[in-house]
Amino acid sequence: MIEIENLSGGYSRVPVVENVSLHVEAGEFFGLLGPNGSGKTTLFKLMSGGLPVMDGKVLLNGDSVLDMNQMQRARHIAVLSQETNVSFDFTVEEIVQLGRYAFQKGIFKALSPYDKKLMEEVMEITSVTKYRHTSFHMLSGGEKQRVLLAKALVQEPEVLLLDEPTNHLDIKHTFDILDVLKKWQEERSLTIFAILHDLNIAALYCDRVGLLHEGTLTNIGSVDVLRNKNKLAEIYGVETWSQPHPTLARPQLLMNPRKKEERPVSLFDNCTVEQDEKAVSVSFQQPLRTISNGVAGEGIQWIKHFANFHVDKNYDSWTPKNDVENWLDEKGFPVEQSVGMMTAVKTEHAVIKREVLNGIAFLVVVTAGTGNAVDITHRETEIHREKIGTINTLVFADAHLTDGALVNACMSAAEAKVKALHDGEVKDPLSGSLATGTSTDSLVIGVTQQGERTSYAGSGTFIGRGIGYMVYEATMEALAVYRSWKEAHS
Amino acid sequence: MFSSKTWIYYSVSLLLLFGAVTFGLFYSSVTVPVSHILHIILEETAGWGFLDEPPGNTTAIIWEIRLPRVLLALFVGASLALAGAAFQGLLRNPLADPFTIGVSSGAALGAVFVIFFQITIVGLGAFTLPAVSIVSGFITLMIVFGLVRLSSRSMAIETIILAGIITSAFIGSIVSLIISLGDQNEMTQIIYWLYGSVGMRGWSYVQLIVPFAVVGSLLLLTRYRELNALALGEEAAGHIGVNVQRGKVFILGGASLLTGAAVAVSGTIGFVGLVIPHLVRLVTGPDHRHVLPISMIIGGAFLISADIFARTIIAPKELPIGVITALIGAPLFAVLLIRNRVGKGKAI
Repeated sequence: MIEIENLSGGYSRVPVVENVSLHVEAGEFFGLLGPNGSGKTTLFKLMSGGLPVMDGKVLLNGDSVLDMNQMQRARHIAVLSQETNVSFDFTVEEIVQLGRYAFQKGIFKALSPYDKKLMEEVMEITSVTKYRHTSFHMLSGGEKQRVLLAKALVQEPEVLLLDEPTNHLDIKHTFDILDVLKKWQEERSLTIFAILHDLNIAALYCDRVGLLHEGTLTNIGSVDVLRNKNKLAEIYGVETWSQPHPTLARPQLLMNPRKKEERPVSLFDNCTVEQDEKAVSVSFQQPLRTISNGVAGEGIQWIKHFANFHVDKNYDSWTPKNDVENWLDEKGFPVEQSVGMMTAVKTEHAVIKREVLNGIAFLVVVTAGTGNAVDITHRETEIHREKIGTINTLVFADAHLTDGALVNACMSAAEAKVKALHDGEVKDPLSGSLATGTSTDSLVIGVTQQGERTSYAGSGTFIGRGIGYMVYEATMEALAVYRSWKEAHS
Repeated sequence: MFSSKTWIYYSVSLLLLFGAVTFGLFYSSVTVPVSHILHIILEETAGWGFLDEPPGNTTAIIWEIRLPRVLLALFVGASLALAGAAFQGLLRNPLADPFTIGVSSGAALGAVFVIFFQITIVGLGAFTLPAVSIVSGFITLMIVFGLVRLSSRSMAIETIILAGIITSAFIGSIVSLIISLGDQNEMTQIIYWLYGSVGMRGWSYVQLIVPFAVVGSLLLLTRYRELNALALGEEAAGHIGVNVQRGKVFILGGASLLTGAAVAVSGTIGFVGLVIPHLVRLVTGPDHRHVLPISMIIGGAFLISADIFARTIIAPKELPIGVITALIGAPLFAVLLIRNRVGKGKAI
């Protein structure tokens, strides 16, 4: 489709872009990325005919783009730039109509029925039909850009060149524009070559990307190129962290400001524990890096408030997440900064343990109910989960863990819990074998992210051993409390 | 092909023009009945006189004085308005006009030179005057553009106007220098000519402007699509298929032809090219397909009307027509400039 061969060019005699070779497939969305001054716009202008080429070729389906005149080029290639000022009071329709310039024939150069039909179609897709008789100047930035996109699309281009088309737009308008483009790309196998500023937008929309660095194209490939932390640091001079998009198989980048955030010095100084008949909760002044399967606040997050709410053992709700969020709200915990879980166990019975082991401060809160104990290894024919008999474990530690280490920490806590259930001889009533947990156990690991960053928190580390010891002790104690309460009430 | 609205625009403008022409022929210190005017024009053009012979001096007044005067005003007005509309479109600048960007003064310098030194270029004969005017106008335009390019990266509206003023001032001093070299009589004559007038020129001046007006108009009227596209800026116009360089040459060439020829026959009549396209655009919208021809028609009608004022308001003395157009144009120019500053980026 587009074949760029050894392209060099720039302003005056100094080539800004040197020896760039690139192949873009038909129907592909290619993103050209790179910091300011890397030559993106120069390369773009060389391709769109805005600058003379010093050396090399640009071929479109084998034909040289550089040898085409403006008219021929406009029939194949359309351009959408970041900002276009339109002089005079042209209406939206008049602007869109300009896109048919290269196609008008005859002495009067009038619009053909086909031109008109196409304009209607494109204005519909770009949602500008309702503004057709409105002055372009009256529109907002996002609307203007949609009009200019419509103008580019009525050229029925095979290739669309985009120069930071969403630079001045808010999120909604950015996505509006790019979604329309993506739709056309897929429906009409439009080839899109885009300069994009925002690496995360590029990661979402591009099929392939190329990184331009000091006029040279490096690292062409899928959007996973953006996960190359070292390359990005070299090109942009900024530390980036690649994170998976929560629902799409695409990376998203997070950037670190150079100034480090202030963090609390001690886990114990920083926290408030509250315990009553409604809930047991732990609050911190600074958020903790948290992994949890709480009803609210699940996943890996930064969390300040942790609450374990008491519910009646016959509690049955279709909307447990809403309920927990309402309770968090009642306690004055902002939902976005909280993890919420629930238990039928009386929260006054929660076991709270604080200790410093091998220089690491730990705080563990456990509520244990075993009415619903299950041996996970037993081959079960039915899944019982209607009852709320739960072991909820909250572990807080002064440690600095990677995401992998958080998973390790979960394993450590789970292993300790299983050991406690075995030593407490809790049995699965169905199988009669020793239980490994209950059907609705919840776990929170929260760490202050202080000190040395470590990638392990298993049994080979002090942090892992600390978690194991603390969880085991607390769970044993909670089981004993639960049993004595059971006996007293039966 | 046209909407009914467009038909109305054209009909009304042509009616205005017709009214102005009729009034221009009819209204003066010596009143001639309309029937006589019709008779004379038909008699002279087609030999279809339908009345008894009107008095001989009436024929002379109408045919030798008023008709060429009205036609000259028509051509000059149409040329200046069209040139103004084209400059505005090309420079994306609603304040551009042959006068404000300095082309008129450049053309005037050429004309003064020819008149003062009685130059005739071999092979051009009487066309020496418009030819020199056109060329010197075009050179001035290039100088103005050069100044703009040197002083700022963008073709900012204010910069173009400023460069036009600088160039005009410089040229004005050269003209003054030339004038001061002459005697009292020549000085008065040239100064008066510089103010602009379409009176006492006769048919020969009409003949001078017509070929340039026709060629220049054709060059510009056929470029309406390019002018529309240039509203997007030169780069974006190129992206939709416009050969911007060629378009610019045509448009600048055509506008310089019109301006140079108009200045050569009538002196520097300012602001017609500013006021008329602006008013037309307010009514018709910015589509150059209609802005260009309607500006021509209205420009012609406007200058004929201005000339009627110029010759009747302090009759029997005449005012230079440039005084009238400047009295109307300069305040409007100020209003436009202010609106342009206030609504930065907004259309005018």
